[in-house]
Amino acid sequence: MQLDNCNPAARRRPGQRKGNAMKAFRYYLPLILALFLLAVMPQTWASIAVQCPEDTDGIDADGDGDPANDIVCRHITGGDGFATMADGRRLYMFSFGDADDHQPLDPAGPPVEETPANKALEAELPAPRITLREGQELYLTMTNVSMVLRPDLFDPHSVHWHGFPNAAPIFDGLPEPSPTPNMMASFTYYYKAAHPGTYFYHCHVEAAEHMQMGMIGNLWVTPKQNELPDGTVLLGGFVHNAGNKYAYNDGDGSTFYDVEIPIQMTGMDSAFHDASEFVTPLMFAEMHDNYTMINGRGYPDTMDPNVIFNQDGTPGFGAQKTPTLIDLEQGQILLMRVSNVSTTHIYSMATTTGVPMKVVGRGAALLRGPTGEDTSFEVNVLNVGGGQAFDVLLDTQDVPPGKYFLYTTTLQFLANGDQERGGIMTEINVSAAP
Amino acid sequence: MRPHFFSRQTALGIALTALLLVFGSSGALAAVQGIEGPSFQLTAKTGSISTSDGESFLMWGYADASASGNNTMQYPGPTLIVNQGDVVTVTLTNSLPAEAGNTSIVFPGQVVTTSGGVPGVLTQEAATGGSVTYQFTATHPGTFLYRSGSQPDLQVEMGLVGAIVVYPSMGRSYAYNHEDARFDREFVLVITEMDPTIHRMVEYEEFNLIDTSAYYPTNWFANGRNFPDNLSDDFVPWLPHQPYKFNPRLHPGERVLVRSVSVGNQLHPFHYHGNDIEVIGEGGRLLSSGPGMGADLAWQAATRRTIPGQTADVMWTWNAEQLGWDIYDHQPGVDYPRAEIDTTWTGNICDNFDPLLYEPNTTTQLPAPGDPDYADLFDPFTNEYCPDHGTLFPVILPTRDSLSFGPYYAGTPFLGGEGELAPGDPGLNATAGYFYMWHSHTEKELTSNDIWPGGLVTFAIVEHPAVPLP
Repeated sequence: MQLDNCNPAARRRPGQRKGNAMKAFRYYLPLILALFLLAVMPQTWASIAVQCPEDTDGIDADGDGDPANDIVCRHITGGDGFATMADGRRLYMFSFGDADDHQPLDPAGPPVEETPANKALEAELPAPRITLREGQELYLTMTNVSMVLRPDLFDPHSVHWHGFPNAAPIFDGLPEPSPTPNMMASFTYYYKAAHPGTYFYHCHVEAAEHMQMGMIGNLWVTPKQNELPDGTVLLGGFVHNAGNKYAYNDGDGSTFYDVEIPIQMTGMDSAFHDASEFVTPLMFAEMHDNYTMINGRGYPDTMDPNVIFNQDGTPGFGAQKTPTLIDLEQGQILLMRVSNVSTTHIYSMATTTGVPMKVVGRGAALLRGPTGEDTSFEVNVLNVGGGQAFDVLLDTQDVPPGKYFLYTTTLQFLANGDQERGGIMTEINVSAAP
Repeated sequence: MRPHFFSRQTALGIALTALLLVFGSSGALAAVQGIEGPSFQLTAKTGSISTSDGESFLMWGYADASASGNNTMQYPGPTLIVNQGDVVTVTLTNSLPAEAGNTSIVFPGQVVTTSGGVPGVLTQEAATGGSVTYQFTATHPGTFLYRSGSQPDLQVEMGLVGAIVVYPSMGRSYAYNHEDARFDREFVLVITEMDPTIHRMVEYEEFNLIDTSAYYPTNWFANGRNFPDNLSDDFVPWLPHQPYKFNPRLHPGERVLVRSVSVGNQLHPFHYHGNDIEVIGEGGRLLSSGPGMGADLAWQAATRRTIPGQTADVMWTWNAEQLGWDIYDHQPGVDYPRAEIDTTWTGNICDNFDPLLYEPNTTTQLPAPGDPDYADLFDPFTNEYCPDHGTLFPVILPTRDSLSFGPYYAGTPFLGGEGELAPGDPGLNATAGYFYMWHSHTEKELTSNDIWPGGLVTFAIVEHPAVPLP
């Protein structure tokens, strides 16, 4: 983003006319001053740093029995890279990468100052997943490692925790009312995870561009109900066993699940990504996703259990780390953490299991009315607009063992570019209960 | 990459508007902009609107043709304000060009009788130069809309749309006749979009070249204005045909009602930054399981898809609950008199809050909404969230030269705080309010005819309790 105040022409006052010497002095003065300041100022401006306090308050805020593990520190990068579409096409992208392997979060890792050099072109699709327990505090440092292929850009990046209740602008990641870190600088965001649910995060700088380019990741908060003592009896006689997992603090076990999987539906417009890679004007009005994906992959790559490398150099970087493999035993309950982060389309999704999906959460909130009324609902097709998130349970009790599909019923998006039988689809394998 | 965030005129306009809002305020809470019923005289006529990319487009829209009206076409049309039980009469005169043909108004959700005019497919129509009268009884309170019922694929796109507000018999602080529907402030949000090709063809009188089945919108509007025009004040002279802004401003803890009216052709996943919304009504009905049950079927989310032709009543509030740090930067252990905010307020900030009741490491949980003790968590005057009172800001912000700044950053993370701005910063947030973007999450719609930024972007502002609001 380039603001008026970055543009020297905008700061000139057209009414002012002085002699040549005066004009020359006026133009050289800032340079002289800058050189002077460079000589005398400490080098604080290249601020790459991770802020991560220790949890010493003695309070067990997340209720898991350990009072010293309530602070979570993560370090991600904002930059560029490449992703491989399911038809083999390579697309340039912007996204976040994982820098947890640098100091101080990994004391054995390289110094934090080396993050931009070591993490160049290591953006991931989707961005690194963040999971928290309710009550934990997240110190999320994002280092803007610059865009290697676009030296003409000097974009800041940001983190917007989408759906965070009672957010403050300073950590909301909006570039208009809050500061955003320039290239070669870090910004530490702070969030107290007070509300469980399925969220996601994305860059909000020039969001139509940066989100289309790929800067989106999964983020969820697990409820305190997971930490209840073994044998606790919930409403309706539901007995909590240690290790049970729930989507929300439902009080009655109604959001219990065995297996969870992110279903982050998104898409990329290859023409837009090519225009960005080759530094040609970006077409916003004509933006139209032609590669649709779950967790950054189109079918059949959704089924690939391995990291997908982007063939950039040898052996390339494993930018796409998230398979969407769903293996269940009959009788298990699957929690799908569904979101749509497309910048151009609304998607619908369904399964071929023949049993309905039970929607228990919407927008990181349990589906209960203000007075506790159960407002969950069952659907065969779920329509998800951009920016919406749903918690969806699939109970396989009545699903015979076999292979099923999860797919978008917006059928034109079952494609990877012009390759048919791809896009937003994955397989659900149900095996017989042991 | 677009080099200019605002045109100079727009930036100046926003600054002047901000000054007017700060210094020109009175005590009463803002009312909805619109015209009072129960009798309305509307004229359908032409006019031109401005879009944030610097273009202008020919529109067909409604004008208030009553004696007190300005008889100027506006987009969207005048918001019609009536009370529950009113017998509402709308007389429509067709002053559109002859090529536009007949025009009419339909009132979805109302039982309408007509008089005059000529027969049409959906209702009685006004022929060119003619008139027609519609009448209905506003039986149900809520948010409704009106739009053209004649060749609507073209006439609605051209701008013949508007909102209707029916206040319940409980009064004008309520959306419906129940305490759950009480609000402190209300705002109408009319969402539309535009395919510029259609407007150009109408302007060039190439009516046979118009193909509404090839509809491809490239511009999106909140109350007929793109961002940032929708932050300029109501009735600013440089937007004569787009009189309504959308820029909710509120104090912490106040309940804001957004009367969402979707009257274009597309669905828009409308995302509210800052806090979850609570959808209490849809289609002019309270989301209720039965009479007297209140909004017990209300639902909560950060994003709601707007559906063409559908209205919704959306509650939003913000109070910094469980943020984990003090938004006012109060220092630990210091008492803060409130007299500096309002001399009639006694006591100290958050003196009602006894932290010993909620001592950490006990089994006592903080009271949740609905709990009788919940109100104890908040200062009764400022709505400050007391458990965070005196809790220090959690991180160190990078130095200024490591950061880029937006025009609504006041140089401080604190509500109503003081800070230093970067050189050249336009300083559009003089009161250090908290700005929250409310926008379409189909992010390509954050543009106006290919130009970023623009389109369906708005901002709500939470202001410090000492900042007077209109």
